[in-house]
Order: sequence, then C-alpha cells, then structure tokens
Amino acid sequence: MSVLAVEGLTVSAKQAAVLRDLSFEVAPGKVVGLVGESGAGKSMIGRVLAGTLPPGFAVTAGSVRFQGADLVAADPRARRRALGDRLTFIPQEPLTALDPLMTVAAQFGEHLQRLGMPRSGRRGAMRAALAAVELDPARVLERYPFQLSGGMCQRVLIAMAFVSNPALVVADEPTTALDVSTQMRIIALIRTLQRDHATGLLFITHDLRLAAHVCDEIIVLYAGEAVEHGPAAAVMGEPRHPYAASLKASIPPVDGPLHRLVPLADTMPGIARFASLPGCRFAPRCPVRDATCAAAPPPAIAIAPRHTVRAAGACLSASGAAAAIPMPPAPPPGAGPPVLELRDAAKHYPARRNLIGLRHGPGTTAVAGASLTVRPGEFVGIVGESGSGKSTLARLVMGLEAPTAGRILVDGADVTVGDAAARSVRLGALQMVFQDPQSALNPRRSVWRLVTQAMEAARARLGTGTRAGPARPSRAGRRERAATLLAETGLPADLLDRFPAELSGGQKQRVNIARALCLAPRLLVADEIVSGLDVSVQAQILNLLHTLRDELGIGLLLISHDLGVVRYVCSRVVVMRHGEIVEEGPVEAVFRDPQHPYTRMLLASIPPDDATLPWPRESDVASAAAA
Amino acid sequence: MLLVALRILFFRLLVAVPTLIAVSALVFVILRLLPADPAAMSLPPGATAEDLARLRAALGLDRSIPEQYLIWLGDLLSGDFGISIYFRRPVADLVSTALPNTLELVLSGLLLGVIVGVAGGLLMFRARGGRGEEALDVVSSAMMSIPEFLWALLLILAFGVAVPLLPFIGRMAPGMMTPPGVTGFLLLDSLIAGRLDVFFSLLLHLVLPAVALAIALAPLIMRVLRASLVEVAGDDFVTQARLRGLSEQRILFAHTLPNAALPTISLIGVQAGFMFGGTVLVEVIFGYPGLGNLIVDAVRNHDLPVIQLVALVYCVLVLAINAAVEVIYLLVNPRLRTH
Amino acid sequence: MSAARFLTPRIVVGGALIAALVLVAIFAPLIAPNDPEAQELLYVLLPPAWAPGGDAAFPLGTDSLGRCIASRLVFGTRVALTVALTAATGAMVLGTLLALLAGYFGGRIDWLVSRAVDTWMSFPPVILALILLVGLGAGVDKVILAIIIVDWTRFARVIRSEVLVVRRRDYIAAARLAGFSHLAVLAREVLPAVAPLVITLLSLEMGIAVIVEATMSFVGLSVESDVAAWGVMIADARRSMYQAPWGVVLPTAAIFLTVLGFNLLGDGLRPALDPSLRTRGAR
Repeated sequence: MSVLAVEGLTVSAKQAAVLRDLSFEVAPGKVVGLVGESGAGKSMIGRVLAGTLPPGFAVTAGSVRFQGADLVAADPRARRRALGDRLTFIPQEPLTALDPLMTVAAQFGEHLQRLGMPRSGRRGAMRAALAAVELDPARVLERYPFQLSGGMCQRVLIAMAFVSNPALVVADEPTTALDVSTQMRIIALIRTLQRDHATGLLFITHDLRLAAHVCDEIIVLYAGEAVEHGPAAAVMGEPRHPYAASLKASIPPVDGPLHRLVPLADTMPGIARFASLPGCRFAPRCPVRDATCAAAPPPAIAIAPRHTVRAAGACLSASGAAAAIPMPPAPPPGAGPPVLELRDAAKHYPARRNLIGLRHGPGTTAVAGASLTVRPGEFVGIVGESGSGKSTLARLVMGLEAPTAGRILVDGADVTVGDAAARSVRLGALQMVFQDPQSALNPRRSVWRLVTQAMEAARARLGTGTRAGPARPSRAGRRERAATLLAETGLPADLLDRFPAELSGGQKQRVNIARALCLAPRLLVADEIVSGLDVSVQAQILNLLHTLRDELGIGLLLISHDLGVVRYVCSRVVVMRHGEIVEEGPVEAVFRDPQHPYTRMLLASIPPDDATLPWPRESDVASAAAA
Repeated sequence: MLLVALRILFFRLLVAVPTLIAVSALVFVILRLLPADPAAMSLPPGATAEDLARLRAALGLDRSIPEQYLIWLGDLLSGDFGISIYFRRPVADLVSTALPNTLELVLSGLLLGVIVGVAGGLLMFRARGGRGEEALDVVSSAMMSIPEFLWALLLILAFGVAVPLLPFIGRMAPGMMTPPGVTGFLLLDSLIAGRLDVFFSLLLHLVLPAVALAIALAPLIMRVLRASLVEVAGDDFVTQARLRGLSEQRILFAHTLPNAALPTISLIGVQAGFMFGGTVLVEVIFGYPGLGNLIVDAVRNHDLPVIQLVALVYCVLVLAINAAVEVIYLLVNPRLRTH
Repeated sequence: MSAARFLTPRIVVGGALIAALVLVAIFAPLIAPNDPEAQELLYVLLPPAWAPGGDAAFPLGTDSLGRCIASRLVFGTRVALTVALTAATGAMVLGTLLALLAGYFGGRIDWLVSRAVDTWMSFPPVILALILLVGLGAGVDKVILAIIIVDWTRFARVIRSEVLVVRRRDYIAAARLAGFSHLAVLAREVLPAVAPLVITLLSLEMGIAVIVEATMSFVGLSVESDVAAWGVMIADARRSMYQAPWGVVLPTAAIFLTVLGFNLLGDGLRPALDPSLRTRGAR
C-alpha cells in the first residue's frame, strides 16, 4: 500500500485553481520528485499535507490519503499528531529553520518530548540520531544555530526528521541554499537514511537534473499542472511534453557537447492570470500549439507504463525541442593591452573591535594574492563556493574596496589607489552588474532614469554652466539612449516609465545589465547575475550575454557558483577557494581534465546530465567530506 | 552565565565613565550661561555689593568656568556635594531622601507598564487581522497622545475627586511618621519596622503616580511587541516548529515570544530612561517628595548646586538602567553572549 | 502614484485634525468669542454654557481670573503650532543632516555623532530641557531652541541606522560606479530613501514639541504667565481643579487632539510613502 495517495487534488484561490487535478502516489522506500520553476505550485502540496495553506487558499476537489487516512478531511488535532512523527519535513533554509535562541540540544529535546519520549532517553536518542547524520554530538549539542554552518544545520534538521522513523518525509528544496559540494553530501545522506528506513520521500526542487538522480519518479509541474509524470530516467532522458523538453534544454550542461540553449520566451503566468487560461496553461508559450489547446485542459495521455503526459496528440508527435544548434567557438580576444590586470591583489579584513576598542584575533583574508588578466572582448569566469573570495575580488576590481596588497591595472593604468584619476579610468572602462536586482535598482527611479543614471552623473559633474566640454545630456537625449539600451537588452520600449517593483525578475536583471552598458564599457563585471532566476529566464540572460559580445565586442568577468553557467558563457575559467586561485585555464580544458583536486571535487558535485550515470558516487562524497 | 553578566556590566560601566564626565561638563557649562546671578538672588534685599562679592567668592563664582568645573568635580569625588543655596542644607541630604522615593516610583511604573504592555501586545497579536486588533490599535494611539503629567491630572480628577478611591497627595497619609531609615526606601523600611499601616499607606500613595507613568509606557511596548511577534511568526523556524507538530500555545511561548521579546527589551531600555523624565512633573503634580520635585524647586530658584547634582544623579540612573537592560538583552541573546 | 494610498483612515483623521487646528490658529481673532486676556472678575470659574450656572457669553466657562476659556484655548493653538512647526523642523534639519553624514561616511564623524547621541540619551529629555531653560532663561523662543538642542538626537539615532541599511544596498554602489559624487549619492539616492522616515518622524516630533511646550509652560519656563498657552491654562486651573475640573480637562483635550492628529498622521504616512509597497500594475 502506498504511503501517500493524492487523487485529483485541486487547490483554489479566488476561483482559480492554483493546483489543478494532481494525482500521484508515494510507495514506501520510493522517492517522488516534484519539479517546477518558482510559481509552479510545487510547494503547495507540502502546505496541503501540513494543513498550512495561506488564507484564501482551499482544497476544492480531490483527496489526499496518508497511510490510508484522508488528510484533507482529518481534524486539525489528528493531523498535528502525524506532523513531526509519521510525516516530517526538511526545510529549504536550514540556517533560519532552527530557533536562534535555542541550542541544538534544547530544540531536539523539545522535539523528542513532543514525540512522547521520556526525559531519560532523550540524550541518548539525540546522540544516536546526530551520529547517524555524521555529526559529532559532543560538538553540536550545546551549540546555537548561528555557530553552525548551513550544512550542519541541515544535518540537524534531517536527524530530527528521521528520528521518529517516519512513513513520509517531505523535502522542499533541501539543498538550494547550500554549496554544490555540501549539496552532494546532503543528498547522499538523505538517500541513505531514506533507503535504510524504507521511508517514502517527496522531493521538491526546481532542478530537473538533480531530481533525475535523486528520484524514482518525476512530476514536472507548470502553472499548477502536472504536465509530465514518469520514471526519472525517462523524463530526463527524453522529455515528451514541450515544457519539460524546453526545461531540459534551458540547463547549461557541465559535460558533453555544448549546444545553444533554447529558452522559452516570456515567463510562467502568475496566479492572477490562471483564471484567463481555461485550457492548456502552457499554450501561450508553446512552440507547437494550435487553436484547440487554449479551449480545454488537455487529457493525461499514457505514453508508456507509469509515464503520462498531459498533452494533445499533436504536441507529442512534434518534437518539442528544435534541432540542436552547436555553439559557435568564442571569438579570439582582441589585440592590445589587457583591459584588466590584477597582480597579487589581496584583501585582508582586520578583526572587529570589541567594546573597549581592542581587536581580537587575526582577522580574515578574503582574497590572498590573486593574479588575473582579462583581454579586450574576452569572457572570463570565476567559480568558487561561498567564502571563496570571488565577490570580494569583483569589488576590488570595481574599486568598491581597496586592496590591502598588490596592484590593479585597468587599460594599463594603475588604479590600485582609488583616487579621482582611478575613478575616471574605471568609469571609462568598467561597469558592474550586481547580483540582486532587488537591491541594485533604486525602487524610486523609473526604468529610463535607472539605465541612464551614468548620464545624469555626467551632467552633475559638468554642472549647468555653458563652458565648453562634452554636451550636457538632455532629458530627450537620455530617453533616447534609454530606448536604445532597452532594445539592446531585449526589453520592450514601453517599460521606459515603469518602476522596478512593476517588473519581473528577468526584466529587472535586464535593466540591471542595460544600466551597466550605458557608458559603453569595455568590460562588464557580473556577480552571480543569474543565481536568483528560473532556468528558462537564466538561459535568456546567458544568451543575451553572447549577443552583447557579438554586437558590442564587450568583455566579461563573470562570477558564479554554477559551473554549467560559466562553461556556457566563458572561454576561460578561474577556480577560487578560500581566497586563492587554485586553477585557471581554457574552459573546455579545465572541465575535461581538471588538474587541482578541488576543481575535480567541484565538477563531481554536479549531477551529470545523463540520469543513468550513478550520482552521487561514494568516492566523491568521501573526498568532498575530506576537503 | 553570572560571570558573563558581570563582565558585560563591568565593561558597560567602564564605558559609562567618559559619558558621565561629558554629561557633567555639559550641565556645568549650560548652567553657567545663566543670565541671572544665583548669588544675588540668595541674598536678602538689603545686602551690599561687598556682601555679594564675599558670597560669590565663597561659592567660587568669581573664578573661570573650567576652574569652577574642576573644583566642583574634585569636591564631588571627595564626597563634598555642596550646599543648597535655596534650602541651605547639604545637597547630599536632599538627594539621599528624594532618590529612594523616585526609584520606588519608577520601578513600580516600569513594572506596571511592562506587564500591561506585554499583555496588550500578546492580545493584539492573538486578535491580529480582526476588529479587536483595530480597537486596541486605536486605543493605544489615543493613549500615546497624552503625556504622563496630563494623565496624572486626569487620574486625580477621576479617582481622587470624582470617585475618591485613592490618595493623590504626598508619599503617605498626613500625620504618619516616617519609619526609621534603614535602607532609605520607605516601603522596605516600613516593613522592617513592622508598620503595616504605613506600608499600605505608602503603597496606596504610589498607585496613581505609578499608573500615570505606566499608561504612557504600555502602549509603546504593546505596539513594538505586536510588530515583532507578527514578524517572527513569519520566520522559518516558527513554520518548522509547526511542521514538527508542536501546539500553537507551545510555539507562541517557547519560540515566537522569546525571539520577539528582543526588540521590546531594547525599547524598554530606552523608555526606562525617558521615564525618569516623566516622573518630574508627575511628582510635582502628586506632591511626591522625589528628585523631580527637588529639581523643579531648584530650577525655579536657580539653585545651581542642587540642579547640578540632581541632573548628574538622573544620568547615573539612566546609564545604570540602560546597562541593566543591556545585560538582560545579552543574556537572552546567545549570538551576542557567546562572542 | 495614486492619491488613494493617502486616503487611509489615519491620514484622513490626523490630517483633518491638524488642518482644523491650523485654521483655528490663523483665524483665532475671528473665532474667539472674547478677548483671551480680558478678566471679568465678576464671572470667575463659570462652568461651560450648557452646564447649570453657565453663561452663553462664555461657551466653555471662565478661569479663576474670569477669563474666557474658549478664547484662551483658541489663542493657545497659536503658541502650540508655532512651537510644533519651528522646533520640529529645526530638530529634523539638524538631526537628519548629522545622521546622513554619520551613516554614510562612517569613521570619525560617525564616532563623534554616535558619542554625542549616547551622551544626550543618558539625559531624560525633560531634564535636559529644564537645565537648558535655566541656562538660556525662560521664554517661548528659548523653548523652541531647547527642543531643537534636545530632540535632534531622536532624528539622528533613527535615521542614522536607516542610512546604514540603505548604504548597504547595491544601488548606492551602482550610483558611485556610474560616476556620482558622494554629495550626489547622498542627495539623490540616500536622502530620498530615508525621506519617508524623516517625514514620519517630523510629524511625531511635532506632537512631542507640543507636549514639551505645554510642560514648560506648566512649570512657568515658557511663555509669559498671562499669555494664553495650554500649559499655562492647566497650571492656573490646577489650583481650583476640585471646584472647576473643566479648566484642566479642556486644555488637556486640546493637547490630546493636537498630539493625536500628529501621531495619526505620522503613523499613516509611513506605509503610504513607502515605495516598496508600490507593486506591479498598481500605478
């Protein structure tokens, strides 16, 4: 008998079905994956199970049977008895999922008390459970969450989730907040515990590639609908629904031949638009749609045993993804002196002062003597996990931080000391695209005033006098330039007068890029500019970067934790760890034959595109643990 | 734990020393801006210019301001707090009688205000999104718009005049003898002396002034606590606690409230300092023999030695209460404690 | 930006109260039924007109010198609003300026401003104001000056921490990278970001200024003792409050309504001015 049986589940808010007619089962010891981009409704099922739907949301059809009992109809007390006991959850943000004021022992003890364990047995049970997640109980029990790393917090939460030997564990993006090597180790741990306890696992993720390796079955969700449901290897290997196919085609691969990514245009509709989409909700973006698609919801068609696709016959016969276009080789870097050169640049932060002004400890070294050259028109990627110093490096380059040692040259001019001369050299050559458009775009500025901010600055510098000099940009001139910049970054011109809060995530990031292009810099420094975006939007932005290179001849220093992104965009890669550059070389050479053990470990941490290859491998997990 | 608390307290007080010196200098300089001559005012009408000069010399008023300040500071450190020009008594005597009364008043007001404020905050949080919260919100807005001394007058009108339930003048019933001073705190001394009648009279006289102070404090605590409760209730660890099957009661009191209390504790620290300011007029209105009455009398009579010392005592009190609240904050917040 | 965001109950009620008070202050001579200074010693401590023994000539009764309470209340708005506007604006300018410099540049200026705020915060504001008025001498202009000197820290403290938050936003760094000078960043990026908070605090500070002025009038350190000010009225009426409680209650109500108006306005403006609440399609 299955642990969880969901039958025709529909969750509605304001007359629109946020989840529409969802059916699946989780058998004991099996892993079912719910995969979708943000807003697809993949977290809604967890909320249905926990009975924590937001106000205004309600189950309007279907049933959810947990161990045979109907959870939707169950009274809240009965449901609460199951929570944390037979039905447990692993959260997305481990660092914030533990009460910051309680030690691990206090919180774990509270959980065991809730499970009805007598006080005398709790200490021993905690030690055993923490040892099972490869934590040293003596080191962890009396610690507070802020004294632990994200990976350690997640292990504590996993230990708590499995300590009651639950029938079903719901893991909602359990590794999204973690570094890739930590992700690999946590995944290995969850899989081991789940297999050992024969627990059913509902694995919710945005990462199709990860799901393919973790799950037995995958359900691909789009706008609240299961568009494809089948064995993991089949869905990843040959997705049949046009959306699932394009989702796969949007992921930049870390191995195998590189093809041009074929992202979908536009973005997934939000809940507000569901009501106006009575038929197939994917139809407006579907490359093979016809007139019938928008009329009624398409049926679920079984194309193989245990493999169904919600589609009209036409979609299935047509191949969703267009013929793969191989990537053209990157143009050779331009002649002339390097745009940017770092010579042993370092950044050391002294320890913080205490109450009476004395410094404790040696401080931290964010970047330890990095040397790096970027030629005109060259795309260079910097990869590394959190704490590797890659963002600090970007801030040194831009002059937002002063190096404590070494030199920085831009266009051959020494800009190590951030004086007015250095500022003007940088202003002519470099611009930065920031990671989080939420923080990088002043919410009080309209789009045209944002993207032409540099012209406003020039105007402020030139003053309003009539002295000879470059022409003062007028309002009309600025709007004209803004329109050009929007066109270059693939944004419609009617956004000119919008404010950031009125834009989608992808649009904001394009505005962010457009602003950096305003003064026609020769090198863009981009810090994690796609990490907050869904894969299809990410693919759009990555292709935009290629277009900019081809059309403007611009260079790029791309900082990213995502090796696939760097491989797709850049021709040279720099690997950083603990503030040091450990490896550097042409992208294909480094990815095919990594020299440094850390690079090898990083590459092994990424699930391969071929779902039939084993991942995570025990030897890699062991070497990641040793690192 | 205790050791940590003591260490923090020690450092806080160490840091407070320069502040106190700055404050004393500031007070001294401001008071020397005074256009009127305090010496002239304290002399009888028939005094001669020589009398005045003699008195000015005796009081040290003929020296330069930095000199006067250093002399005063030196006297202060050697335990000489000066003589009141107006009361013609040692300032130290005046302050040591008034100080315990003010402390009793502030502590009762603080206690009352915190209890009502925390209860109100919890009530508002429980009623969030409904009519009840709106009503409490309106009431708290209105309560905050009346300063302490007007509450004092309104309370006298309501419970002293219209419905005469409580006494509203002085520290105890007229005719009662002050219990022998052991601690200086009358409530304690009356208990020590076994005079329960005095004790209850003292307590009754404390009610209205303390309520006046508490009414001003409670709505602030209420609103800050409500806001932080709402914020914390949306945090991941609260969701996760719910997903572990904990009861709402347990979640509120074991997780949400302790985390939401942190900003409230900071607020209480700041507001407790302001409360000493609130006592000034409240004491005047209730004829309550504390520091407030003392400083207002001194201000009216340009009694500089009294103003200087009382102002300094207020600063010491504020710094002490801030340090105490900070220690509580640090003890509650492990992130700061285990640094 | 739609006007509807400003039509919340708090803003409407608060704004209406303040607008009414401003009108009363401007047209005081037209509104007041009597000369606020005129003493009618035959009619002392009259109750309001509707109460038994009241006189229609004195709608809200008279005080112990036979002066018309209604007229004194009306003229009292002038003192209250003058102090509220000038003192609060002064404290805002001084406090905001120092907060911007301290929060944006950090370093020595921040240390200096922070220590000054610490020193000020170790005084209960009333005590500092009392001492200042001893030093400066009594008078309503001195009260205004004292409020500015005492209360700039309210702005400095809160706005400095807001500047610290804003300063960490990437758009500040982006503005620098676009070539903005520090002054331009402060004026065009930081100040607009903290402006909603400044306006909110300004409104609340006006309420505080009204209270401080009333307090100082009550102690006799503000206006001349015969000028019609609410604090003076309360102090005068206090002596006869057992026979004539309205003498205390009416000016108290006037202070209450004024402060309530400023508080409601301040509370209501904060969310209305916050652009992060301006969402997609809500134009």
